Amino acid sequence: MTALFDVGLQPERTALAWRRTALAFVVVSAAALRILPGRLGVSGLAAAILAVLLCAALVTSVHKRYRWHQRQLSIARGVAASGLPLAAASALAVLLALLAGAGALAEAFA
Amino acid sequence: MTDALARSETTADRQGERRFPSSVFGRGSEPDARFSLANERTFLAWIRMGLGLLAGGVALEALGLGLHPVLRTIASLILIAAAVLVPIQAWAGWMRAERALRLGRPLPAPVSALPLAIVLGIVAAVVVLAVALP
Repeated sequence: MTALFDVGLQPERTALAWRRTALAFVVVSAAALRILPGRLGVSGLAAAILAVLLCAALVTSVHKRYRWHQRQLSIARGVAASGLPLAAASALAVLLALLAGAGALAEAFA
Repeated sequence: MTDALARSETTADRQGERRFPSSVFGRGSEPDARFSLANERTFLAWIRMGLGLLAGGVALEALGLGLHPVLRTIASLILIAAAVLVPIQAWAGWMRAERALRLGRPLPAPVSALPLAIVLGIVAAVVVLAVALP
């Protein structure tokens, strides 16, 4: 054990940042579920459902990641967590934006 | 000191096989975990930025605000295009910063801040026009 742990509640702040982000994802995905089926039909519905499921996966992974960070900061040479959830969050955000773009274009040229 | 460094690098190599992406974790030595956490929070802030841009673009389209239709669509599409690019930049920026931390190099400059500010200025101008024009 070293004095490294609990300097500035780092794992907590990071977990809260994940929660805020997950919340934003949930809001945007809910909007996608509401708007996309009307504009892109069945494929829009399927994509929106996919986005909601990915959101649920994101929300459930937050706590696991928090425990990892907490454990790592309690030992002298903590090891950073995998970047996989970050890549997943990026991909989900890009997917939602592309869907919104497709929906907007479908509306503009309707 | 040399021994400690060498040991931490072999640890990083072994961990690099498990942690994604190996282009980041396969190199250098483990930084103070707090720096990695700060980097992660910066990434998350960029992701929320992208989602905010997306919400703005969709709101312009969907809320029926009585704006000039062509300008409204242009502003909306610019915002949505930015919402596609920002998360990609967030991931690339996170990788750059984490790699710099691991190699003990200076952190990369925030190259995407100025382009984003310019884009937001343009969108604001288009929205003002869309409100003003009949």
